[in-house]
Formats: sequence, C-alpha cells, structure tokens
Amino acid sequence: MAVLDTPWPPANIATEAYKRQRRTAWMLAGPALVLMVVILLVPVGIAAILSVTNYSLGNPGFDWVGFDNYEKLLTRSSYEKMFTATFTYVLTVVPISVGLGLGAALLINSLTRFRDLYKTIYFLPVMATLIAMAIAWEFMLHPTIGAVNQTLAKGCGTWVQSLWPWLARHCTEGMPLWLGDKRYAIWAVCFVGIWQGFGFNMVLYLAGLTSVHRELYHAAEIDGARSGWERFRLVTWPALGPTTVFVVTISSIRAFQVFDTIEAFYPIGAGPGKSAYVMMFAIYEKGVEQNLIGIGSAITMLFLGFVLMITMIQRWLVERKVHYG
Amino acid sequence: MTREWWKHLILILGALIVIAPFYTMVSYSFKSPGEIDRGAGGVFGRQEIMVDERCVKLHDPNRDEIAAAAARFPGLDDDAIRRALIREAEADCSMRPVVFNYTQAFTQAPLLRYLMNGVIVTASIFAIQVIVALPAAYALAKLRFWGREAVFGLVLFCLLIPVHAVALPLYIGLAKLGLTNTYAALVIPWTISVFGIFLMRQFFMTVPDDLIDAARMDGMSELAIVWRVMLPTAIPALLAFAIFSVVAHWNDYFWPRIVVTGNRDLFIPPLGLREFKGGADGSMFGPMMASATVIVTPLIVAFLLAQRRFIEGITLSGMK
Repeated sequence: MAVLDTPWPPANIATEAYKRQRRTAWMLAGPALVLMVVILLVPVGIAAILSVTNYSLGNPGFDWVGFDNYEKLLTRSSYEKMFTATFTYVLTVVPISVGLGLGAALLINSLTRFRDLYKTIYFLPVMATLIAMAIAWEFMLHPTIGAVNQTLAKGCGTWVQSLWPWLARHCTEGMPLWLGDKRYAIWAVCFVGIWQGFGFNMVLYLAGLTSVHRELYHAAEIDGARSGWERFRLVTWPALGPTTVFVVTISSIRAFQVFDTIEAFYPIGAGPGKSAYVMMFAIYEKGVEQNLIGIGSAITMLFLGFVLMITMIQRWLVERKVHYG
Repeated sequence: MTREWWKHLILILGALIVIAPFYTMVSYSFKSPGEIDRGAGGVFGRQEIMVDERCVKLHDPNRDEIAAAAARFPGLDDDAIRRALIREAEADCSMRPVVFNYTQAFTQAPLLRYLMNGVIVTASIFAIQVIVALPAAYALAKLRFWGREAVFGLVLFCLLIPVHAVALPLYIGLAKLGLTNTYAALVIPWTISVFGIFLMRQFFMTVPDDLIDAARMDGMSELAIVWRVMLPTAIPALLAFAIFSVVAHWNDYFWPRIVVTGNRDLFIPPLGLREFKGGADGSMFGPMMASATVIVTPLIVAFLLAQRRFIEGITLSGMK
C-alpha cells in the first residue's frame, strides 16, 4: 500500500513533466472555463444585480430600487396571474406526463408484440418542432373546422350525450372555443405539454424497467404478492424510485420553461384574460418586448430559484437512497 | 395475445391521439382551402384543379396589357379581350392543391433560406461545442493538475443553471455589443455545453491510460492526443451528443425569438413558421401546414431511420 500512498508526482523526477502537464491542462480546459464564466456565471450575477434596479436598454444609467421589483411580483395582480398560470401548468403537466409515461412503459413492457412500434410512435412528439406541432393543435382545436369539435359533435344526439352531461350541455349551447375561452385556454396549453412530454418519460421508465430484477418478482410472489397491483406496489414502484426522482425533476424543470406553445397560440397577451401568462412568457414580454429589464431580471431570479429548489430536492432524495433494486 | 388485447386497445387509442396533430399537419398540407374549410376531402384531399385567386388578381389585365394583347385577339372589343386575358391567367394560375400549398410555402416566405440558416446554426453550435468541450473533458479526465477538482466542481455547478435563466442578461450583453440580429447571437449562448463536458469526461474516464501513454511515447502533443486518439474512441458518445444537440437547437424557439427581431435573412425555421402564422389569412392554412411539414420532416425521418440512436441521444441527460 505504501506505493499507492506516495504523493503524486514522485519527487523531482517528474516535476518538470508535471509542470508541463499542468500548463497543458489549463490550456485545454481554458476556453471552456472562460466560456463557462462569461456565458453562465457572470450573467446569473448580472441578472441578480439588475433585479434590484430599474435598468432599461438605451438608458445611460439606472437607479437602485431595492426589492421593489420583487415586491411588485408578489403584490400586483398581473403577476398573480403569472404564478397561477405557471403553477397550474407545472402541477398539471408534471404528474400527468409522468403518470402517463409510467403507464405506457408498464403496458409496453408487458407486451410480446409491437413494443418498438408503440415506443416509436409515442416518442415522435419529443422529436418534433414544438411550435409547428402547437400550430397543428391550434387547427385541431379550431372552434368550427377543428377535428376536436367535429369529433365531439358526432356524439351529439347519440347515447354518448346521455352519459356525458358536459357534452350534452355543449351540444345545445355550441361547442367550446377552447383556445379563445378563458376557462379552457390554460388546459389546452397543458394538454399540448403533456402530449409532447410523456413519451420522453416513457423511454426513461422503459430503461428503468429493464434493470428490475426478475428474482424480486419471484420473491414477492412467494411472500404472497399474487395480484399484479401487489407486485407493482412491492417491487416495480420501489425499484423505479431513482427513475421517478429523475423523471419528475426533469419534467418539472421543463415545465417551468414552457414558452413555445403559448407564443404559438397567443402571439400577444398570453391568452384570454392572461390565463396562460407563464413565467418564460413574462420574462420575454417584460424584459425584451417592454424593455423593463429590472422586472424581467427579478422574474428570471425567481425562475432560477424554483429550478435550484427542484434540483436540491432531487439531490436530497437521491442521497436518501431512493433505490432498493 | 388473448390477454393482451385490452392493452393494445389502450395503446392504440393513445397512439391515435399522439399522431392526430401530425395527421392534421400533413393532411392540411395536401388540401385546398375549400376542403379545409369544409373539413372534406379525406386524408389527401381530392386534388381537384384549383384556381389561385391571389395569382389571378395579380395578373388582372390593365389598360396597357389589353391594348398590347389586341393583336392576338383580332376582331374582339376591349371587354372581350379582357375576359380572354383573365381566362388565360386563370389557366396559368390553376394547379393541384398540393402543388399550390408547397409552392406557396417556398415562395410566400424564403423557406429555403430559413432551412439553410437552421442547418448553419445547428451545425456551428455542435462544432463549437465539440471544439470547446473535448479538450476540457480530456484535461479533466486524464491530466493531473492542481485545481482540477475545482474546475470539475464548477462544471457540476454550472449543470444546474438552465440557459433560460441567463437568456435576459445575455441578450442585454449582446445588445450592448451590437450583436443582436447576427448569426453570432444565435450561436454564442450555446458555445459552452457544460453537459457535453460532463458527458465526455465520464466517457474519457473509461479510456485506458495505456492508450494515451503509447501516444505520448510516439511524441504526440496533448492536443494531438485529444483529436487523433481520444476523438476516434469517443465516436459513439459523440454521435449521441450530436443528436441531443442538433434536435435541441433545430427545434429551439425561445432564444432565436429574443435575439432575432425582424431580420428575415437570419430567421431559422421555427421563427419563419411563426411569421407565416402571424401573416396568415384564412386561405393560407394549407401553405402554412406545408411549411410546418417541411420543417418537421428532416428530424422525424432521421429519427425513424435511427430510432435507437435518437432515443439514446435525447435521453442522454437521463444517464447522469
């Protein structure tokens, strides 16, 4: 063991070589290091500073305004709408897209045929340019010529109508406007988010499922876990713990970043009554379009705070060892 | 199979919803405005010859043209010549809806230019990311130097910072430097891929030291080792990273929307599509969906050809 304990580099002999290697190493890592500082670290600092000013592009100077910007965020009603829209989106899209991802993975994993076909189809939205697909959804949700309302209208006057009061009401009152309706707008945006994201979660869950040991199922069966649900509860779900933590983390961070769908649906104003006024849209609208950089930076800092919080929770869960597999 | 049918039923229903917007997009790109309005025409439309009203209006003959055409229509009065000219214009402006939609997609807006910009931007981003990240990853994985742990710690810390959080300050910086509305603005924030450094470092850790020592014996410089020894061993990892990077930036909309304002020459496909939408009147649904199809298709086709690699590449971040 003594050999391993000798400090590196071994005295004298390699000092010159070590010095050379050190110089090369800094040269190789240098560009990346500089870019990391200039593109990531410094801007975060700048955003933090600007968030306590009233800076605007084109103005020669600015005033320190303390926490005024943050106070505005917490008190003004338009920002209340921002928080409502953002949290509605995150708290809807994350659980449902994770749940659907897990469900699809479990179903596909238990099949003997066509597994790859389903996997491919469900992964398509992850690949596709979101803004293009959002526009396609906008057509489908079109009040009169959209496929959604045309399909719903087919149910009018049939037995479906008597089973589904909501449909019955709209059959008489006229079909919903979807994107133009304050009550549905944010849910339509959520729906597209789920549609786009669950395939990604499914693939991660499928990868997670391959690492669940077969013997665990046998052991559970011997212990009396007969039903599929019992086996899922006792073996699959705990074994998928690390995957779930990761999937929830990445879905949440992505959900906080939603922007494309809202811009595609509502080029101005973020939906009827600002009902889809999510944080990214607010940053863009305040910081870039209206040149209110102080407010934009304050929203940016809040966004960063949320993302860091999610990551901290993830780290904490990982350290508590969520895996039993 | 008997016990599986209900699973297939659920999965097929799901698949229909997943495919629905793709179907709408492609189907609309084939249909005439009338068919889109009425929701008629099945999947590909009936492809009846249609007249492009806008084109006819554009060729509406004026007095000079009628006078000039008088020689071709001897014995007709001005009004009859005018009607004949309009008939000719209508004949010239008649085409199948699918041809109309796709020609409009490429002529109403410089779609080809947008696609080329997309290729230029995504390719430059990937190339620069590799040039910056590979040497750094090599240094972090294989060279011993004072401060290595600190640099790696910084990499891990920067992994936490989402690019959306630095968008606004970077935009201000670029605006101050007068760099908005340039290719540079589209590329600069992505030149550093902390994730790329992390990924390649993990990969390089698995490369045996003997390989590097042998290269040193041959008198290769460290930089040469990076490009001539490490790069070839890293091709599979690099390919996965390439897919990750290209898909993300071909589809990115948030950042281009911020730094490119109005200058159409710099539009990348998603921006072009948005502008198309902004200026669209009712009759332009077909051409717009044709543009969308053109923009979405390259990645979808590549994905269908190399599914395993794509899924691997896009879910790379799941391997942390």
